[in-house]
Amino acid sequence: MKIFKFIISKIFLRKAILGIGMILLLCMANYITFTATRSILSTFQGYRETEYINQEGVYTANLDPNSHIDMGVISENGTQAVYDYLNNNFNYAFYTDGFIVSVPNSYDMKISLGYMNEQYYRLNEFELSQGTDLDFDYQLDGEIPVLIGKGLSKTYPVGSTIKIDEFVLGRPVTLKVQGILKQNTYHSNYYALNSKTYYNFSILIPVNEAFINNANMDLKLNGLMDIITLNTTKEEVTDLSKVIKDNMGLKFNFFSQQENYDYFNEYYLHSLKIIAITTFILFIVITCLSIWNALVSVRLMLKDFTINLLVGLSYSKLRKIFYIYFGILSFINLTVIFIITAFNRYGCWLRKDATFATYGLFGLIGMDWLSLLVVVLSDIIIGMVIVENMLRKIKKVPISLRVLQ
Amino acid sequence: MKKSLFRISDVLELCTAYMFCFFLNLLFNYVKIMDLDSYILKAFLKNFTDYQEIIVLIFTVVVIVFHYQMLHRKKTEIFCKMLVGDTIFNITIRYALNCLMILIFVCLLSTLANVYLKFNLISNFYLTFIFIIYILISAREVRKYENF
Repeated sequence: MKIFKFIISKIFLRKAILGIGMILLLCMANYITFTATRSILSTFQGYRETEYINQEGVYTANLDPNSHIDMGVISENGTQAVYDYLNNNFNYAFYTDGFIVSVPNSYDMKISLGYMNEQYYRLNEFELSQGTDLDFDYQLDGEIPVLIGKGLSKTYPVGSTIKIDEFVLGRPVTLKVQGILKQNTYHSNYYALNSKTYYNFSILIPVNEAFINNANMDLKLNGLMDIITLNTTKEEVTDLSKVIKDNMGLKFNFFSQQENYDYFNEYYLHSLKIIAITTFILFIVITCLSIWNALVSVRLMLKDFTINLLVGLSYSKLRKIFYIYFGILSFINLTVIFIITAFNRYGCWLRKDATFATYGLFGLIGMDWLSLLVVVLSDIIIGMVIVENMLRKIKKVPISLRVLQ
Repeated sequence: MKKSLFRISDVLELCTAYMFCFFLNLLFNYVKIMDLDSYILKAFLKNFTDYQEIIVLIFTVVVIVFHYQMLHRKKTEIFCKMLVGDTIFNITIRYALNCLMILIFVCLLSTLANVYLKFNLISNFYLTFIFIIYILISAREVRKYENF
């Protein structure tokens, strides 16, 4: 330890610019690795979550990009006719969210309401930390059983009620808390799998046929955008598409399992490959720059290392000192990455951004920790390459030449 | 370059360091105007383009390291030049001019590339300004080696 302190204070710190240079380069390598790993993990998480739509007989609705929504053409009766057709001929999963309401809570967050039908609820298998499963056979004029996120559980424990004035039914309603979702339960966007909405400050409301029939146009129209038909055939969804076109003037496409799979391979896998390759190239470039920086350090510190080697320092001890030195530099960088991530996560709480607020140690969630682990592994690789190169460079110069310096 | 502290390898090294920084800046400008279909790629690249200035500034550390090690390596040469009648003022001026020449050459190349690709030149000028500051600071450091 004494020799380590001596080498750090008398050799490395005397040329601090080189150390700072190394920290900054490692910081960039860590940031790139962390960002890429998190993007890839988040996309795979999203893919895993939406695996249920990649099944035989499942078709996902998608508004054709060339079809424009003309609210003058879309009527209440036309929309209802589409839902009547759906109810009579299909088994479908309905989900829509993003309806923001003001509900008093201990964090002053704006609350997002999500609406889902029984099929969607069964497909997603929501995990609860408290309470019981949702009941979809409720009376519209009574209390509506709901699931809430962990952030609301203190203010609204299981069994309590929440009064909401602005509601899709056009009248105030009372919601009864039936269960509390596990912390950080999320929903991935079907068309941007790496983008997530966290349910920590959401209320999930079960909808049944009567609910949809009495709801306003916003809910009906938004729900139709991502509707998932189950156990159907291509012909049946083509007919449904025609019904929507005739009644609402909108062109909807329905994608099958194979089409979704092809889309994933073409779009997501291609993007993930580009991210992985770009990250790898940048990682190699930064490693090369770090090696150059390390060799510059050796060139400038060669005299000091030689003196210490002559008075009894062994190469194995020097290697150990180098590894500890790079361990410290890596630790500093990891701390920086950790602080930036924690600050970003905590920023969602400060901005009262309910859809991104997450729970965890300093706000970090599972994929953040996993990405940090990958960063640690990448640091070990860079550290080994740099230290071994430094030692090789020192050994390469004959001791007689070093003494002359 | 007759009395210069720079050798061919030093010129190439500094050129590469400058080019790396200017190229990185150019790459950022290019990524910003890229019309990407993929949301994942857009979201991934946004993590970098949002911090373009900071990231490019961090990478300019390679130029700082170059100046630092260059002067350290040349301290004997500076002292010897003075022994044979050169002055520290002339050595400093020559050093700064050499660095500026290399910078102007790389900066011109980068400006041409930016103009060709119709990019905004502001970030290019910022970078040049930062490098000029580095040159001036390192030129001041030459005085440190007046006494060997």
